[in-house]
Amino acid sequence: MKTFAKTLVSATALAVAGTLGPLVAVSQADDMPEMHDPHAHHHMMQMPETTRRMAEYTVPNVELVREDGKSVALQDELNDGRPVVLNFIYTTCTAICPLVSQTLSQLQRKLGDERDQVHLVSISIDPEEDTPARLAAYAKKYGAGPEWQHYTGTLAASVEAQRAFGAYRGDKMNHTPVTFLRAAPGKPWIRIEGFATANELVEEIRNMLPSS
Amino acid sequence: MRSMLRPLRAAAPVRAVAAILLFIVLAALMDHARGEPTDSVGEAIYRHGVLGSGKQLDAIRAAGVHLAGKDAACVNCHRRSGFGSKEGFISIPPITGRYLFHPRASSAEDLDLPYVESMRADRDPFTDATLARAIRDGLDSEGKPLNYLMPHFALSDADMTALVGYLKSLNQRKSPGVTDTVLHFATIITPDADPVKAQGMLDVLKQYFADKNTFPIGATPRLRTSRKMMFMVNRLWQLHVWRLTGPAETWQGQLERHFAKEPVLAVVSGLGGKNWAPVHEFCERQAVPCLFPNVEAPPANADRDFYSLYFSKGVALEAELIANSILRQGSGKAAKRVEQIYRAGDSGEAGAQVLAASLERHGVKVRSQVIAANAPGQEGVAKAVRQSSGADALVLWLRPSDIAALGEAPPAPSAVFVSGLMGGLERSPLPPSWRSRAQLAYTFDLPDRRRVPVDYALGWFRIRQIPVVAEQVQVDTYLACGLLAETLKHMADTFVPDYLVERVEDMIDRRIITGYYPHLTLAQGQRFASKGGYVVHFSEPQGTRLIADGGWVVP
Repeated sequence: MKTFAKTLVSATALAVAGTLGPLVAVSQADDMPEMHDPHAHHHMMQMPETTRRMAEYTVPNVELVREDGKSVALQDELNDGRPVVLNFIYTTCTAICPLVSQTLSQLQRKLGDERDQVHLVSISIDPEEDTPARLAAYAKKYGAGPEWQHYTGTLAASVEAQRAFGAYRGDKMNHTPVTFLRAAPGKPWIRIEGFATANELVEEIRNMLPSS
Repeated sequence: MRSMLRPLRAAAPVRAVAAILLFIVLAALMDHARGEPTDSVGEAIYRHGVLGSGKQLDAIRAAGVHLAGKDAACVNCHRRSGFGSKEGFISIPPITGRYLFHPRASSAEDLDLPYVESMRADRDPFTDATLARAIRDGLDSEGKPLNYLMPHFALSDADMTALVGYLKSLNQRKSPGVTDTVLHFATIITPDADPVKAQGMLDVLKQYFADKNTFPIGATPRLRTSRKMMFMVNRLWQLHVWRLTGPAETWQGQLERHFAKEPVLAVVSGLGGKNWAPVHEFCERQAVPCLFPNVEAPPANADRDFYSLYFSKGVALEAELIANSILRQGSGKAAKRVEQIYRAGDSGEAGAQVLAASLERHGVKVRSQVIAANAPGQEGVAKAVRQSSGADALVLWLRPSDIAALGEAPPAPSAVFVSGLMGGLERSPLPPSWRSRAQLAYTFDLPDRRRVPVDYALGWFRIRQIPVVAEQVQVDTYLACGLLAETLKHMADTFVPDYLVERVEDMIDRRIITGYYPHLTLAQGQRFASKGGYVVHFSEPQGTRLIADGGWVVP
């Protein structure tokens, strides 16, 4: 734990964000310069440390319930031909998940027209609390477009999905931010540990999409 | 004290500066009073993300993630207590004044501060100026960037002063019921509680406290050196039994008087009848955690409150399970008319209301027959059953004595649903003609699946010669005690009511021995730990064996 905190603190503090006096509006803030910002001097923001690696996962044969109330097979949802971005969240989470979901929200905007070519998949790790209705409200709050779905189901199904991706950590307060991406069925997964930024994800996705 | 607040505020000019001055005066006044000031600007920013102007708090995180209002409120991460938390690898530090302004120390052991896992000792103390910089620019007292999760907040100087003032005031007061040698707890029994269950519950509580005091933590010489261990000092647990009497309108007054005479850190378990709301209200108002009372009908909107935690929604959950079942059943033929029977003044009324509302939303007509509180069983119940004939479903919110007096079941095809909580679960004395048709709402794990966790409690009862008179209530009581003990162990010496609630929220998931429940989970904004249930029927003409009609349902 301590080592991780240290790594975070000593991580390259890239200068971002102009002065915070008058707060920049979302749209502008969205595309903040990431380096060489003349206003950045002492207003440094911690950049997240992420680790990226390739991994092979076997998508389990589990049934989940989508936010529209429909029962679906996780395999079908992931194998619909589009590149997939997958994460685990829960709706009453107040520290990690809001940021993770906002990042996906930002990702949608950054992808623009291309967003329909990917599938964003958020699976609840607190499935009993997160009924389809609650997930639908959560999706709405983060402005989820038609390419971004949220899933619940039985506790066992959620745990099985978490385990399959090496993301099960016993209880929900023990969870960590982790994002998974895959270009297509049969291809390996990219596992990004830590708070992946929308820019990082856009770059990964652009590499997966056929160049236009 | 609280009643003094409003007139004072109303008389004050509305200007921001004056309001802040007033806040500082009030904060000082409140030092001696129970609770924090409830309507200060600082608190509104911290808890609700509302600025002094009434506008939303704004914040931004690295990479341009924008937050506003409630989503930006400090409470989300640093929690109501201000003691922070731990989420995965991320430590969210305590930010009450005492933790921010303490002098540099080489280790937590050298600090005269209650132990909190994520506290930092070895850094420069914050000043008002560096704290404002931390909040606005995300830099710590030494100018280093704070964790990536910490947003940068846009606050005016006046709002900043109010917020910093609030952080300084947080948890300054001494926790009630905590002395150097004793932790005081209460349990509450309302006059409408079942006397047999009350005795069963008290047997468990008293024995648990006696056991606890036989081997108090820290009674043995301190062999371990860490600060956390050192703080697990030798405190006895003392139980106060608050038995309420008379009409419900007087209960809050009685509770206030009990609390003034015998201050407690928390209420553990307890037993109610139909009306638990006055106890719930008392706990909210006096900021007393109320941990898992045995109540069949907890207040429906407990999710919006903070201090009361319940095992489940009780009869309201049963109503949702039954509604779910009625709406799905009927082999394609939708139910048109549903009858339900309950006794005036009993928990069934709350269940019946939820059921009626759920079904009527789907166009199903629901008629309730209310049996007078003191009408003789046979007569009242049999009459109500006769009058319900022809309904697509009949729902019984009745106690075992009424169930035993049901007489002949109505002719099929009417489906029959029974409140398991009220009717005695698998021991419900349903007459044979009912038993073959009845479906029970069952808000617990199935008997054969819960055997191991329940046996754990039953073994404990057996060794201590506690008669099992109300198994589910007694097992839940034992579970509530276990959850309290486990949580306190992890709190070291930081006995603060808000923190106690937060620790239960965060830790309950880890519990493996969960008694009658398959799984317990809470979080900020979650107040019912078990969320679902089964609809079951009896597998044989006799005995207690059940078969689930479908899986565990979370309505």
